[in-house]
Amino acid sequence: MNQHSNFVGGEQASLTVQAGLSTRPVPMEPYRSPEYYQLEIDRVFKRAWLMMCRVEELPQPNSYVVKEIECCNMSVLISRQNNGDIKSFHNVCPHRGNQVALDERGTASRFSCRYHSWTFANDGRLLGVPDETSFFSLDKSKCGLTPIATEVWEGFVFINLAPVPEVSLTEFLGEFGEHMKGIHYIAADHPIVVAGELKCNWKVVSDAFSEAYHIPAIHPRTLGPTFASKSDPFAHLLGAKLFGPHQSSMQPRNVEYMPRETSHVELMGQTLSPSSSAISTADSSVMEKYLDHPAVRPKDIPTWGIGINNVFPNSQIDFGLGGFFTHYFWPLSYNRTRYEGRFYMVRPTNAIQRFRMEEHIARISEIMLEDLNNVERTQKGLESRAKDFMQLQDNEIAIRHNIDTIEKWVRSETVRDALA
Amino acid sequence: MTGTKQEPLLPAGYEDLEPFVDYWAGEDGQVRWDRRASADMAKIKIFYDAMLPRAKEALLYLNELDIGNLPGPETRLFRLTLSLAHAAMAIEVHGQPRALHAPFPHSIKLVKGPDIFA
Repeated sequence: MNQHSNFVGGEQASLTVQAGLSTRPVPMEPYRSPEYYQLEIDRVFKRAWLMMCRVEELPQPNSYVVKEIECCNMSVLISRQNNGDIKSFHNVCPHRGNQVALDERGTASRFSCRYHSWTFANDGRLLGVPDETSFFSLDKSKCGLTPIATEVWEGFVFINLAPVPEVSLTEFLGEFGEHMKGIHYIAADHPIVVAGELKCNWKVVSDAFSEAYHIPAIHPRTLGPTFASKSDPFAHLLGAKLFGPHQSSMQPRNVEYMPRETSHVELMGQTLSPSSSAISTADSSVMEKYLDHPAVRPKDIPTWGIGINNVFPNSQIDFGLGGFFTHYFWPLSYNRTRYEGRFYMVRPTNAIQRFRMEEHIARISEIMLEDLNNVERTQKGLESRAKDFMQLQDNEIAIRHNIDTIEKWVRSETVRDALA
Repeated sequence: MTGTKQEPLLPAGYEDLEPFVDYWAGEDGQVRWDRRASADMAKIKIFYDAMLPRAKEALLYLNELDIGNLPGPETRLFRLTLSLAHAAMAIEVHGQPRALHAPFPHSIKLVKGPDIFA
């Protein structure tokens, strides 16, 4: 059931209740059951539209990238056509199943399989077969690379692994897609990329990025002071809105944040570059066009700090004062995840800006590490089966909604049922 | 590592920082992060204490140059100042070389840093 209300929050009825969600404890089984994991792969990952990358990763005609979707045993070749369109294919040679494109990215109008040199155009057509006359009535027109449904929304490339997707990307994103339309994505061609493999279920990582409740305990020095203030020590959500399977929430920042007296390096950086801050890299004047969008920074909330947008099933598009960043949580197994974070930062033009960027990267890296062992410990605890239910609070609404949505997709015969 | 007559290790006036170049002038962010994480607190503090008082002056000097095209000595000086950002995490934030309860080694890597001055 979609919510059409405006953002709510504060001391009124809880976000959870207002969103129409139950407040009951949430089962732990989906985080630790190999059977449930397989259901997720079949009913969610093989039917939903999956966010893969930004269009800037394919900057010119014939640019391509290869992205792995390990949980489906697939390698996906995404190629910018000569006419600018973006198409995707299974990276599988029709001859005997070998992998065609072997590198992560490049520029090519043709691909040759290394095994027997079958050659393909980047629109998937089979162009050449060495020793063709030795084959038996080979119909080359039926032996191209298998296409994968591909659509682009607001500069994000999505694919759908269903041979014939039941709904379009527009229908899948629904009101969320409308709400997020027209955002000016600053520095979309310049991400800082952090990645690694974590020993936990993909939802454990996704959950960790979906709430601020853990910040005072896990990130007391790296992040805590920039979020929490005396009047709002737990950085309660400013609001949350559900859009079918997707959701947006907003966290406040501590507007009175000042570096501690002993944070000499941070203070030095601040002195040299007064308009930047510990958690943002660019001069604030550069950011106005991006920040002005209502889905980024609402005008009527001066304490706004971060916008978290969970794009079902496994990615986030987040907004901060310094720019946007994306997270991808790719399942590897029921208790292994490949995480990738992309922090889009305006290219530095001088040494001071580059220094501030290093400070920002250093801090983000430490924040990642503070979360890292924590998610692995959580997985261990879940698998002990000492407990069967999670007790969630109101500000953990995104976690509850994600689990509810996955359950709905797992139980729904059709995608339209799941989206209803 | 020693300089040569043709190319000193660091720009003039920064000779006192030369002993730190070998370890602390890592060639990209992942190396600089990893080196700080692998060092003990004493080693980090020696670098931090020497670098902090010179950093502002160094950055103001480097700020006048094209960071996409720095000569060798300036490149190494800039890398030293960038390492200060990592040393600060240990000295000013954690109070120890690495984040509390975080494993080391670990799988998280900075796989792509900034385009301008790795």
